[in-house]
Amino acid sequence: MEKDFIIAGFGGQGVLLAGEVLANGFMIDNKNVTWYPSYGAEMRGGTVNCTVVMSDEDVSAVQKSSADFIIVLNQASFDKYVSWVKKGGSIIVNSSLAIIKKTREDINYIFVPITKLAQEKLGNIKMSNILALGTLSRVSKLISLSTLEKALHNVIPPHRANLIPKNIEALKLGYEYDLLKV
Amino acid sequence: MTATITDKKVLMKGNYAIANAAVLAGCQCYFGYPITPQSEIGEFMSGKMQELGRAYVSAESELAAINMTIGACSTGVKAMTSSSSCAVSLMQEGLSYATSDQLPVVLVSVMRGGPGLGNIYPSQGDYFQATRGGGNGDYKLIVLAPSTVQECADLTYKAFYLAQKYRNPTVLLADGLLGQMMEPVEFKPYPYPEIDNSQWKLSGAKGREARIIRSYAPLADNQCVYLEKLFEKYKLIEEQETQWEEIGTEDADIVLVSFGSTARNVKTATKICRQKGLKVGILRPITLFPFPTKRLKELAQSVKMFVSVEVNMGQMVQDVRLAVNGKAPVELIHKGVGVPPAPEEIVKQIEELM
Repeated sequence: MEKDFIIAGFGGQGVLLAGEVLANGFMIDNKNVTWYPSYGAEMRGGTVNCTVVMSDEDVSAVQKSSADFIIVLNQASFDKYVSWVKKGGSIIVNSSLAIIKKTREDINYIFVPITKLAQEKLGNIKMSNILALGTLSRVSKLISLSTLEKALHNVIPPHRANLIPKNIEALKLGYEYDLLKV
Repeated sequence: MTATITDKKVLMKGNYAIANAAVLAGCQCYFGYPITPQSEIGEFMSGKMQELGRAYVSAESELAAINMTIGACSTGVKAMTSSSSCAVSLMQEGLSYATSDQLPVVLVSVMRGGPGLGNIYPSQGDYFQATRGGGNGDYKLIVLAPSTVQECADLTYKAFYLAQKYRNPTVLLADGLLGQMMEPVEFKPYPYPEIDNSQWKLSGAKGREARIIRSYAPLADNQCVYLEKLFEKYKLIEEQETQWEEIGTEDADIVLVSFGSTARNVKTATKICRQKGLKVGILRPITLFPFPTKRLKELAQSVKMFVSVEVNMGQMVQDVRLAVNGKAPVELIHKGVGVPPAPEEIVKQIEELM
């Protein structure tokens, strides 16, 4: 089995970091995994995305032009990547920064007000990326929250360890996205 | 990214894996000037080398960096520099000199788009730069081409070893894809023996005759003798160090030849071909010099067609043609620059060639 994931958004939204946490999670689960970034020269505000490929065998290709699961954190990414979702695949859309609109019948749309949830429930919009991973865990059923928790420990450096509990909270919030009223 | 780990898998960029492996290989001196897509190597070294009390110099130019590396190597310590494409161009003179001086310089070359400043996307456009060289005179660099992040680490070890063993500059030829991608990697301790360099290093002449390492032979005859010796060494390297990976070649009608990150997609393409009932195999050169010429020659006895798959306008294909020497057609599937063609695209092109 091989599954492809794309996470996309503005530079500064933590797209690459979210991908790194996801890829670490798959490594912890003893899968073969690759992470590949794509971004412009801007420090913030440019578009950025990363591709994570998880496979039981050798990863077939690092860069893909379609994916099983795509997280889009802004409108521009939603517009670009909705056509990249494989038939039967899912797209998780940050409805705080993208208009809720379904243009395809053959994919699953999961609209979550990611930025708003992060702001109102966690008091920090910077948690949006990890919150989205919680939703991905729920939707994909390919990675558990506890694995993602371990992955956070791999990725967040020791001098930022104080941020881990809040990020775990973000994962849980994202996982329970449909139970919350925002 | 600060860890020097040897006991468990970590998810790491190829650049960090190279830098970490260099530290574990015992690299005492790093000299470099930043350039995308390999800047993480210098970044890692700037912290780690200081932490370990080793030398890190942010050089004022690539010309300075290669010459600093030459200087350090002449004293018998393991030293390296790293750079990318247009900036490796600036090091060509130094590489020619280091070959002439027989110094174990290690250069990590993380290829990006060219010619000129080009762009920062992955490329294999410096196959010629690495295997033919842009420096003057008759010389060869040992060239190792990793295909995974794990190989980035393993072949960095090997680059230091071969450089020391043969006293010849050695290039680790990676690319922007390998440098920037992350993959799980494990760091075992440096697996090679240390090479005795007490007979040539410049370590102070107290109690022994003075030595000189220089790149100048005033007499024509001497230079002839020297070159013969140098090329005896290259012959030995070809005999002993040629390394490649082969999958599905035993009954293959078509053999795909591909190196580095591109070989990843090519492997997948051969799998798809096999599922379609096509007898396709892959030969992946791991050493680009020495090139697996002999093996390709053997395969040419039975293989009906060779296809070189590269991310450039067709460079390694020339070495494949030289090896096959007209025994079978040698075709090219390529893309100028960027990530390698998708496996399905490669399969489609193979089917068109058949």
